[in-house]
Amino acid sequence: MRIHDLDGLHDIRRTGMMKILPGKPRIGVGMGTCGIGNGARDVMNSLAEALKKQSVDAQLTPVGCFGFCAVEPLVSVHIPGFPLVVLSQVAPDDAAMIVKAIASNRPPVEKALCKIEEWDHLTGHVMYGRGLPDLPNWNEIPFFKNQKKIVLRDCGLINPEDIEEYIAVGGYHAFYQATQKPNVNEIVEEVKKSKLRGRGGAGYPTGVKWDLLRKAVADQKYIICNADEGDPGAYMNRNEIESDPHMLIEGMLIGAFAMGATQGIVYLRAEYPLAVHRLKRAVAEAREFGLIGEHVFGTNFNFDIKLIEGAGAFVCGEETAMIESLEGRAGRPHPRPPFPAQKGLWGKPTNINNVETWCNVPVIIARGGSWFAEIGTTHSSGTKVFSLVGKIKNTGLVELPLGTPLKSVIYDIGQGSPDGKRVKAVQSGGPSGGCIPATHFDVAIDYESLAQIGAIMGSGGMVVMDEDNCMVDVARYFVEFSHSESCGKCVPCRAGLEQALRILKKITGGSAEESDIQDLEELAQMIKEMSLCGLGQTAPNPVLTTLRYFRRDYEEHLRTRRCRAGVCEKLFLSPCENSCPLHMRIPEFLELTKRGRIADAAEMIWLDNPLPGSTGRICQHPCESQCRRKSVDAPVNMREVHRFISDQIFAGPLLAEIKMRLAGRRMAATGKKIAIVGAGPSGLSAAFYLALLGHDVTVFEAREEAGGMLLYSLPQYRLPKAVLRLELDVIESLGVKFCFNQKLAAGVSLDVLEVENDAVFLATGTWKAMTAGIPGEESPSVWHAIHFLEQVARKEPTNIGKKVIVIGGGNAAVDSARTALRLGCDVTIAYRRERQDMPAIAEEVDDAQAEGVKLMFLVSPQRVVSDERSRITGIELMRTKLGDFNLDGRRRPVSSGETIIVPCDNIILAIGERPDVEPLRRSGIHVRENDTAAADWVTYETNRPYVFAGGDLVTGASNVSSTMATGKNAARAIDGILTGQDHFADLLKTVDVPQVVPAEPEGGARHTSPELPADQRKSHFEETILGLTKENAIAESSRCLRCDVHEPCAVKG
Amino acid sequence: MPKIIKLKISGMEFTANEGSTILDLARANSIFIPTLCNFKGLSNVGACRLCMIEIRGVPRLLPACATLVAEGMDVTVDSPKVTKYRKMILELLFAERNHVCAVCVSNGHCELQSLAQQLGVNHTRYPYRYPIYKYDASHPKFNYDANRCILCTRCMRACEEVEGARTWNVMGRGINSMMVTDLNQPWGQSLSCTSCSKCVHVCPTGALSEKNCAVGEMMPRKNVIPYLTSMRYSGR
Amino acid sequence: MIAAEAKPLSEQVIDEIIARHPDKTGDVLSVLEEIQERHPLKYLPEETHDYVARKMGVSRSQILSVVTFYAFFNLKPQGRHTVTVCRGTACHTRGSKPLLDSLKASAGFHQDDEETGSTASFTTPDFGLTIRTVACFGQCALAPVAAIDHDIYGHVSDIKLRKLVAAIDAGERQ
Repeated sequence: MRIHDLDGLHDIRRTGMMKILPGKPRIGVGMGTCGIGNGARDVMNSLAEALKKQSVDAQLTPVGCFGFCAVEPLVSVHIPGFPLVVLSQVAPDDAAMIVKAIASNRPPVEKALCKIEEWDHLTGHVMYGRGLPDLPNWNEIPFFKNQKKIVLRDCGLINPEDIEEYIAVGGYHAFYQATQKPNVNEIVEEVKKSKLRGRGGAGYPTGVKWDLLRKAVADQKYIICNADEGDPGAYMNRNEIESDPHMLIEGMLIGAFAMGATQGIVYLRAEYPLAVHRLKRAVAEAREFGLIGEHVFGTNFNFDIKLIEGAGAFVCGEETAMIESLEGRAGRPHPRPPFPAQKGLWGKPTNINNVETWCNVPVIIARGGSWFAEIGTTHSSGTKVFSLVGKIKNTGLVELPLGTPLKSVIYDIGQGSPDGKRVKAVQSGGPSGGCIPATHFDVAIDYESLAQIGAIMGSGGMVVMDEDNCMVDVARYFVEFSHSESCGKCVPCRAGLEQALRILKKITGGSAEESDIQDLEELAQMIKEMSLCGLGQTAPNPVLTTLRYFRRDYEEHLRTRRCRAGVCEKLFLSPCENSCPLHMRIPEFLELTKRGRIADAAEMIWLDNPLPGSTGRICQHPCESQCRRKSVDAPVNMREVHRFISDQIFAGPLLAEIKMRLAGRRMAATGKKIAIVGAGPSGLSAAFYLALLGHDVTVFEAREEAGGMLLYSLPQYRLPKAVLRLELDVIESLGVKFCFNQKLAAGVSLDVLEVENDAVFLATGTWKAMTAGIPGEESPSVWHAIHFLEQVARKEPTNIGKKVIVIGGGNAAVDSARTALRLGCDVTIAYRRERQDMPAIAEEVDDAQAEGVKLMFLVSPQRVVSDERSRITGIELMRTKLGDFNLDGRRRPVSSGETIIVPCDNIILAIGERPDVEPLRRSGIHVRENDTAAADWVTYETNRPYVFAGGDLVTGASNVSSTMATGKNAARAIDGILTGQDHFADLLKTVDVPQVVPAEPEGGARHTSPELPADQRKSHFEETILGLTKENAIAESSRCLRCDVHEPCAVKG
Repeated sequence: MPKIIKLKISGMEFTANEGSTILDLARANSIFIPTLCNFKGLSNVGACRLCMIEIRGVPRLLPACATLVAEGMDVTVDSPKVTKYRKMILELLFAERNHVCAVCVSNGHCELQSLAQQLGVNHTRYPYRYPIYKYDASHPKFNYDANRCILCTRCMRACEEVEGARTWNVMGRGINSMMVTDLNQPWGQSLSCTSCSKCVHVCPTGALSEKNCAVGEMMPRKNVIPYLTSMRYSGR
Repeated sequence: MIAAEAKPLSEQVIDEIIARHPDKTGDVLSVLEEIQERHPLKYLPEETHDYVARKMGVSRSQILSVVTFYAFFNLKPQGRHTVTVCRGTACHTRGSKPLLDSLKASAGFHQDDEETGSTASFTTPDFGLTIRTVACFGQCALAPVAAIDHDIYGHVSDIKLRKLVAAIDAGERQ
């Protein structure tokens, strides 16, 4: 079996090719660890059984992993004459079908993901066959489209446990070529020319490193493969060894030959048993074939490879620590110089390279250094394999030319977040790397660009994070990791990380002080600059990058003691409570409702949310997206339950009781006077709490009634005015005074308010409509949504016409459309993106469509078309297509050049509103660039002392619960500043709620409110959603899993 | 004849033999660079990081103990940045274990204490960890108090490199690292210890001391090791 | 039964393992790894440290340094079954911390991470089960991942993991 020369190699190549193209069907099952973890072994067994049962003659073979982990197990089927077909998510049950298809000489396209007609192994080429035009080629599907497989050239296509298959696709030919070079220096020169850089993370030029060892004079030289892949979140080296162990061996052989080393060592993680097994087997095979051993290819080259299993110390990835470890000591690094190339293992010159670095070598020799250097960028040549994992749809191993922009990996290849949440950051490079925020996703992936933004390439782990990931927690997680992996030798890393971790735990635990952030930052910088080895020098990167890009996350933990992402468990009650801008104690009011304690539930609801009937109808309910009941069946319908409670209160005698209970909670009068400008949801919330806190509150409102947008912009069919008026009645009953028709600046002056009151809260909202900037929009038949809705709310005639086009995709667009429909119009919504991109509540869009509103997507307005009498006859729309991804993960609409004219007589622009900040500017209050008032994000105080601002005036157009939250938080801050104390905890204290976790999920399937059928609701303004029945509300409440109770429950069975 | 290198330290011109370190040169010329783990006659471990210095044109800080002199180097040994970092390191050491000078046998002869005085460290911004460690008085001649240990590993190097007994080593890792003898039995039960006292006399703090010393009475004889090693290398 | 198993491996077995590693590169790690794997309770008793040191000509303090440095080595007897929860980044991002906490709680461990550190392992008093963590299994695409003995399970939830553990318990009792 020993190969002596090129002829011998060619003989094996021929026998190997007979295995890859055996002249009969070949089935390859992807048997990497992840494939096996997904059931590949069962699939393999069922396929073997099915072949036997149906007596089909086919070759069944394990292959490596093709990289698309999200759709494992992967099976490839090749029938002579057809392309190779890659099947995804194959279950054991599919075996019969697959074999049946093969039996009838037909590729099993039913489960096919893609096809491969021919494959360039770079060292060889395989032609499978053409055909199956309906099936996409492998490089046409998004996951593979931008990839370039150099390191992964054989992975998933050959049997990793058969050296002949590796030789068949050109394996060991590069090594042969290298041994035939007249001067070994040529090999090193070729590697230099390729500009290959170390793939372990630091990026040191490989050729230069090789040259050092080549030039070293010694009786013994070592080469070491660093396969101690310890970065949590990275697994490319595991897969490379599992799927194609011979490419590593060949790379090391070439290196050993070029540098004059006689002993190779692979230091491989013991946590990778399959990789250990396959590499051991591959080394044995190579030895058997005479590729490892003495006088290889008849030359004087002698070489052996030894495999050592690392025993679980991340720091051993550091080269000097790895040498210590191989010498039988604890892996503590030592200072360089001396460098390993001078004095390495056992004091001999030693070269250490990462797995992937070695794997690139055979291709560089086979195709030439200049071929390789042309891939990637000038300074970062070639490709890099990344493990793309975390909150991403297409997880897997991705090999990219260096220089590819990050966003292409996240959105094109990865296809963004799996559940439509916003991608927040990518953690690149593991514990040594950094968190790259979405705003920097246009960064090119190469050594220098990543370093510039504070991250590093590292070994190639990319963990995608979404809004449910807390960046402080991420920093704490990595510091905890580095802290536990620190060898303890140098002081900055050992004692510094200990203190850094202490501070981070203080922050995530909610007990940090303002000075802690600065201490942390200083400490991190010191550890980075002063530590002995790479572990300590890079361990602060996760802290420094999160401080740089996500400082607000830290400040939130510190100043508001909240963790928005809902990760730091000491900082929130339950996921629903945490996601609610008003932080309603949802599990508790559900428990009370479940027990029929309606008045107690109502009292708690009111204390958390002074407009429970309104929000119970129109809130965007972020709570549902976080509800853990989702993992059992569907989220709890929390919004409808608190609507039910408020409806119960308003319907009967309990209203007086609630008013009495609330009045009873009013704290002793403080004698402080507070003026609130604007009676919208934010102002009303502030008024409610400030009144309860014992202050004397007067609300000034520009219009003739209170309610703001809720009254003048929300259509009656969604929010009946009667409900709002009852809520206002409760607020008024607490002693809040209202002054109507008092517009700021025109009617009431801030200077006067300031003199007459102890504090002023401005919440004047967003009443200035944005314009589209298109010719003709000044026509009286072009409406702005808020003006149109207000006119309808006031029951004033609109003469809206017969055919209406609404421009926009938010709630105002849908409200305008459904309102116009109820006025008898034919309505079309025209939106520039696609339906899933519409910011409007999804159920509202469904309802609108059911009522007969038409939807047009991918169009943007160009001009208003009028006739000679200036009457509108239509609107010209540009057809758009979705281009590149924006940094927020949405595709940017770009014009296609094609325009259409849609006939209409009226147009409603629903493209956004802004605050009118002129009166503020004139009063010397700072205004931000986007025309919102500048106020502290915790206290809501403006630059004028005792003048506060909240609501949409500060945040820009938002939603009802968020805007109410600003009023609620501002009330707490105003009270705190005026009295020097925080009374909120006392104020909100309620009856004891039973703290019991249901043993089994209760309450059955999700209950929804009955709704008027579309044909019965579209002609009038009566409320369309009717509310839960009492039985259903109680049953729905019992569906809650009580995530707020943190007692561990006993395991059953 | 070794090559002569010319370089600048703190703006002054010096010459040095090729192969010597910046720390060697600074010491020879009485330029102060703080160190705790470095000890003349023992191998260099670069662990305390107090000797970090700046070299013009090099973006990172380098340890003077492990950086060789090179032609034309312009070295700054006490920039505001390294001074600040050195103080932080001393504070971290004080906070790490239980250093109470007032009751320490080495009070007045402690390298940690004197560096703190020299660098003006009079408090630490980091809270004390107050770990609980045993006091090992099992050896007939010496005491080992882990509370005062700063993990410089001088004892381990003296034991291995000069005495050849290999009694001392580091157990555990990270913040839980601990100097131990043999298999972590009491020192007095160590089979390998020769009771040569070298470890005791290289200890920078009061962690290792001779028995029967009261506060401030432990006077280490720090020149024993340099003497022994120079004898060894001279081969006479 | 436990007492019998807690004894170190016989000197013969250890001698045989050492003899199979004549090359000194990496021998200390490999020998200790193999001795631990061969022990029924997957650990290195103190007597073994001493014996290996003498047999391999390595100082006792160095053997202690090695076995306390690498996470792979156990100095206490391990359970007959081991549940390993992966604490890699992808797993952490997908909620492996609550998973681990709940598993620990269900097996009766209530210590807080603050005191024990995230890498600590827990063994039930009857040596039935050990719960431990691993820095990363490299199975990130299946996150969160846990292993029961040597079988890896992907996309595990609290409920799924408890069922798997209950299944081992049931298997033990039979």
